[in-house]
Amino acid sequence: MSGSQSSLRGANRALVVETVKRYGGLTQVELTAATGLSPATVSSIVKELLAAGAVDTHSTIRSGRRAQLVTIARQTGLAAGVDVGPRHLRVALGDVTREIVAEQTLPLPADHRADTTLDRVALLVIDLLERVGATIDELVGLGVGLPAPVEPGTGLVTVRGLLRGWDEVPVVHVLSKRLAKPVLVDNNANLGALAESRFGAARGYQDAVYVAAGAGTGAGIILSGHLHRGFGGTAGEIGHVQVDPQGRICRCGSRGCLDTVVGYPALVEPLTVSHGTLTLRDLVQHAVDGDPGCRQVVADAGAVIGGVVAGMAMVVNPQCVVIGGELAETGDLLVQPMREAISRRVPLNQMVTLDVVPGDLGVRAKVLGALALVLEATDQAGADGAGPGVGVDVREG
Amino acid sequence: MPGRASASTSVRADRRVAGSKVADRFDGPPGGGKTGRDVRDEGQVGEAVGVGRRAPVLSVQQVSKRFGAVEALVGVDLVVRPHEVVALVGDNGAGKSTLAKIISGVLQPDAGLLEIGGEPVALPSPSDAHQAGVATVFQDYALCENLDVTANLFLGRELRERTLMREGEMERVARRILHDLSSRIPAVRTPVSHLSAGQRQTVAIARTLIGSPRLVVLDEPTAALSVAHTAEILTHIERLRELGLGVVLISHNLNDVRAVSDRIEVLRHGRNNGSFDARHVSQEELLAAITGATQVATSSTSDALL
Repeated sequence: MSGSQSSLRGANRALVVETVKRYGGLTQVELTAATGLSPATVSSIVKELLAAGAVDTHSTIRSGRRAQLVTIARQTGLAAGVDVGPRHLRVALGDVTREIVAEQTLPLPADHRADTTLDRVALLVIDLLERVGATIDELVGLGVGLPAPVEPGTGLVTVRGLLRGWDEVPVVHVLSKRLAKPVLVDNNANLGALAESRFGAARGYQDAVYVAAGAGTGAGIILSGHLHRGFGGTAGEIGHVQVDPQGRICRCGSRGCLDTVVGYPALVEPLTVSHGTLTLRDLVQHAVDGDPGCRQVVADAGAVIGGVVAGMAMVVNPQCVVIGGELAETGDLLVQPMREAISRRVPLNQMVTLDVVPGDLGVRAKVLGALALVLEATDQAGADGAGPGVGVDVREG
Repeated sequence: MPGRASASTSVRADRRVAGSKVADRFDGPPGGGKTGRDVRDEGQVGEAVGVGRRAPVLSVQQVSKRFGAVEALVGVDLVVRPHEVVALVGDNGAGKSTLAKIISGVLQPDAGLLEIGGEPVALPSPSDAHQAGVATVFQDYALCENLDVTANLFLGRELRERTLMREGEMERVARRILHDLSSRIPAVRTPVSHLSAGQRQTVAIARTLIGSPRLVVLDEPTAALSVAHTAEILTHIERLRELGLGVVLISHNLNDVRAVSDRIEVLRHGRNNGSFDARHVSQEELLAAITGATQVATSSTSDALL
């Protein structure tokens, strides 16, 4: 293979960095095997990267022998982002430069309990810190997204019944007591909005609406570059906008909410006879693979959600609407009917058009938003000259 | 291939099909499955694309097994379809592991019928079970400590070209399978003795994908693992399901079971004691069935109790 020595070297360096990123932390021996480079090459590249400040090395022990654990260099301080979904838990560790150093998903049972899940959150954060060779001292804070409107100060769910088993659980208190770190809790659609506006499809827009269409539907609103939570934290709770006055009774106690029409059970129910019981992932996968029934369900859901988002767009007048959540994995299948429903109802602005686009960050938007929440609070605190965690509940352990 | 000596050499299942090599048969509705299985030894799964209720990949009917005075299983039924995770739960000694061992050819049932892909089969040894498309991960993983990841994956099923082993090809397949599982094992030439408990479990699961499995049996895969490793293993199980396989998951942890299963079958004193949709069943209902607070009066229980 021709090519200059230096470009080969550059490619090898990039390969080493990529590999370390993928596994979180690797010993040099493992790095040799994973990259297929010679031990001498790996050793000298690691030395170079170490000098350049791109990686860190820590002494560790592998099968009784001393070894060098190579990790991506972190700017002082790691933040943990946690996305608690109806059926999964997603945890990511990132540093102040927004570099993700470790990530893990855990499937959860339906109607999981707050105590078990929060216990797992704490353990998973510790496990991931260990994976990248960090200690809890390096953790500056924890951001948690819940699939319900929450009161940011305490992490209490503000509307009873929306998240079964979580009512009256002060998430901020439980986790800050457990980990002795500042904890910020927010609605996960709000966090998705934050992430898409900071590093995703809504970057560069001052006013944006993010819609998460999944097991339930939620939205987050960015006004003048800031997250708008509303007075009681329920802004953007479009899953509970009435769309069918004769519809079913919702978990929230109201009738015919959007969630009773396009929420997970309602989505798969018409497919039970023909398809058996499907999970949300099955539905999305089959729709992507071209199953006509599943495609129909997703497209119809898009039209209904689009109708509600149109109303929201009228009130908020955003520059763009970003569509995320599991259903958005079907791409235009969901987005196109939404676009049509929105453009049919929102009067065309002669000067500025409304962009309706799929999100850039996919289902990771919420966990990335949780990270951004912590890091922005830390930056803010740093700018104010105080330690991290200003305005955050760090009550007595 | 030396099968594990079965504890009982007594009466075997009354119906037996020699060779146990069974043709694919999906009798499901239209679109119920493509049956291309020319990917043997490629570690790929001949995935049945299309949806609908598919014919069971495994059907256990009225299986019984005794060890002396111990009634390990009494007239137990179990059905597993492709693309489905069925959990077996129950107290210690409920018969979960015995049933798993019968499905994987380690033990022979005293009575009852086993069907794989709609065909009655006898599984006189684990290798026959593997031939029939049943891959099992045992509680102790059954890995060779001194061998590397690739060698463990292909143990006893090495790819050969005449007498030479195709090392490069095996490494390539191993890498792809581990990647398919989105595993975090960095190197396919790492000796297993260097791996953590979670990584060993991953290797054991990856091994099930070598060949052309249709059913994967996992015996307590998350026991004694950290939360991060449990998360990885549960994600692997979701992946196996997405690959179109039927999965039998044995576990004590109801949280893990409810997180990844489609259906939960409760065994109690070697008898079926309820079948639940994992999406709707509550922890309380499951516990009641496991402890016997609720009893499902199937014909076998009432017969047996009389």
